[in-house]
Amino acid sequence: MAPLSDDTTIKDGPSTDAPAALPGDGLREGIIDNLRSHIGEAIVDTKITPNDDLWIRVSTEAWLTAGQALKNAGFTYFCFLSGLDWMPSPYGTGEEDPDDEPKEPDTEIVQGYTGGETRFQVFARLTDLNRHVGVTIKADVPDDRLVMESWSHLFAGANWHERECHEMYGIGFDNHPDLRNMYLPGDFEGYPLRKDFPLLARMVKPWPGIVDVEPMPAEDEAESPVDDKGDES
Amino acid sequence: MGLVDKSRLPAPLTKLFNMSRSYSLWVYQWGLACCAIEMGAAFGSPRYDVMRLGVIPLPASPRQADFVCVSGTVTDKMAPAVKRLWEQMPEPKYAISMGSCANCGGPYWDSYSVTKGVDQIIPIDVYVPGCPPRPEALLEGVVLLQQRIKNEDMAAKWRGDEFTTLQRTRAMEAGEVDRDGELINVPTAPTLETAQAVDSVRPEPIVVGGGPIE
Amino acid sequence: MTLTDRQQLSYIASQAADARLNVELETEGMTLNIGPQHPATHGTLRIICRLDGEQVVWAEPVAGYMHRGYEKLTEVRTFPQVTTLVNRIDWLGSFANEVPFILAAEKLMEIEAPPRAQVIRTILFELSRIANVSLFLGDLGVQMGAITPVFLAFRDREYILNLIEGATGGRFHPNFDRIGGLKDDLPKGWIEETRGAVKKLEQFCDTIDDLLFGNEIFQSRMRGIGIIPADIATDYGLSGANARASGIDWDLRRDQDIPLSYDLADWKVWTHPDGDSWARCWIRLQETRESCKIVTQLLDQIPAGPVMTKVPRIIKVPEGEAWVSTENPLGEMGYYVVSKGGLGPFRVKIRSASFNNISIVPWALKGVYVPDVITILASLYFILGDIDR
Repeated sequence: MAPLSDDTTIKDGPSTDAPAALPGDGLREGIIDNLRSHIGEAIVDTKITPNDDLWIRVSTEAWLTAGQALKNAGFTYFCFLSGLDWMPSPYGTGEEDPDDEPKEPDTEIVQGYTGGETRFQVFARLTDLNRHVGVTIKADVPDDRLVMESWSHLFAGANWHERECHEMYGIGFDNHPDLRNMYLPGDFEGYPLRKDFPLLARMVKPWPGIVDVEPMPAEDEAESPVDDKGDES
Repeated sequence: MGLVDKSRLPAPLTKLFNMSRSYSLWVYQWGLACCAIEMGAAFGSPRYDVMRLGVIPLPASPRQADFVCVSGTVTDKMAPAVKRLWEQMPEPKYAISMGSCANCGGPYWDSYSVTKGVDQIIPIDVYVPGCPPRPEALLEGVVLLQQRIKNEDMAAKWRGDEFTTLQRTRAMEAGEVDRDGELINVPTAPTLETAQAVDSVRPEPIVVGGGPIE
Repeated sequence: MTLTDRQQLSYIASQAADARLNVELETEGMTLNIGPQHPATHGTLRIICRLDGEQVVWAEPVAGYMHRGYEKLTEVRTFPQVTTLVNRIDWLGSFANEVPFILAAEKLMEIEAPPRAQVIRTILFELSRIANVSLFLGDLGVQMGAITPVFLAFRDREYILNLIEGATGGRFHPNFDRIGGLKDDLPKGWIEETRGAVKKLEQFCDTIDDLLFGNEIFQSRMRGIGIIPADIATDYGLSGANARASGIDWDLRRDQDIPLSYDLADWKVWTHPDGDSWARCWIRLQETRESCKIVTQLLDQIPAGPVMTKVPRIIKVPEGEAWVSTENPLGEMGYYVVSKGGLGPFRVKIRSASFNNISIVPWALKGVYVPDVITILASLYFILGDIDR
């Protein structure tokens, strides 16, 4: 494993509002560099939110090798694995007023952090228990063949997560020992977490929209200032 | 047994029997979700102490139980098991539905995997609303059930023509159950005609606190 | 207890006789189905075991009897509505479920709750941990045929539920956390009452320590049973007390930078090197004591000020992705929230602790005896809603 550079490389830039990079961000850059030395160009994109978190997107083919490289680099704790469907829901989000004119449904697929080219993505999170740092790793799932390489031989815990992902999104996993349904009864049809899976109860009885909003305590502050200890007032 | 459902018992005797039955209720706890803990608090904790009402919360199996307390979310995967449990219980039997999920689906009213109300599967005598209801509310449900049992016509209940048999015949005619009484499509709401026919015979369910079930 | 040579010899002889008999009779495998409704499964988990004699050769938990489709439902709810749902994931420690979700939403909105709200959040978080784990400790006895501890647990848990109800209005599902702070301030006299109740819970821990952990039957059924080594634990993503019982020194309350006030209190993360059922239960007992300590210390340090920052009346969360996890009573509970700038989340991945903790069951049950199945399951501690979501 390549030694992790601790030089924080504070970037010179015009923005002074941006929070200064903490040593943690140097660590995160070191993780990216280390991974790049193992899988090279398979890293498609990365994102670091300052003092917070790290995202890495790898190519579809490198999904397994990236997991292996991260595990070798100390990310031994498997947190979760799941899928993402970036297609906007054709049924809306359930928050529209039913009296309004129905809007033309948005069909443009826009991926989140670290981008992407396909509708489906898989993502997983690994944690390094010694360095107290976690990484979210993403990969595109090809549109024509919704199959990824299985992680279940790499992290035993991925077995169930991949079963869940298969059931919810219909994403297959090569070399998975046992891709059975785990939640739904056998005769269930469809993949519930796909955005085009309708919630029938909502179709029958639409949500009335946002009807009331709870007043915020902070707004009444002027009338009734909070005492030193609210419970002893 | 044969005596009760064939002939009419003298009224004082019926009253005595009913009172005895109502104070010796063995409840099968079908705890499914959050409500199961509140049910546990009501049935198993010293603070609420259901045994003072003459309810014994520890039968070994549904075959020894007088009423079942279905508490929590019934999912479509669980529904056949709930149905089977109900069929295993001997007549006369009663059911309490505890919590919003068991009553009507509750916060999961739009979910793809939750049965919207356990009354689609088994007949319910008492609904206890709340999410979850307090243990006191469940105890009130038990008391209301006891009151119903006290005023019951034993012969009708024993013959079972109050709900189950009738529903089964009607449902068989409608093609919803097979000859063994297994529901063909579980879970399914009874057809309108079945529901109306059943409702005309079946006593009105009780709702703790009154009002609609929500 | 020491065996005499004679006893040992007779034991070996009987074992050999058993073995010969087994070869002769060729005991056929048997499938034992536990659940989905069984007193020992804490809910509707079904476990299929294939047995050889008394030994489990293969086991498989069947989940899904409590699958309610949370991740789909969050996509059709607004951010403030989601807390109502996620309360019900781990129903014994409900408040703890809200906190990571709210923190994730706050992270995306780049706001932070005022210090007073943070401290009160931490107190309620720990109270819900006590409410959760105290029932676990009581229920532990039931798995081994001891009924008394569960009565004690239900009795003493009521004190905590009363406190949670006093502050939030809900015994079980508080729905008290808001984006930007808390719904309300603490009621009058709550702090004093909490001090008293926490003392009672400390006594409860001592009672359980004597009654259960000092019991010889309990020890012999727990010690050395269901050992999970540390590397297997991390492989399966075990978290919380299950991981710490395998010697992994990892606690998200201490090891991550999160806007909760754990650093104000002086407390300790307990680990155990054994990794057996006993260790897992013992860690939870110690954690309940530590939680009591945290609550007592934080009660003195509640700062003055508001409990809510300024947030817009209708909350729209900016576009982005955030991951926040906290150390919940059952382990690491996290939310991966994707927002597209709308009123509701675009996608919420709920990482619940029990799901990972139970995925180890096929591994952990291999080769154990049937009675140990129950104690291992009990010591892994899961809540059905937390597995199936």
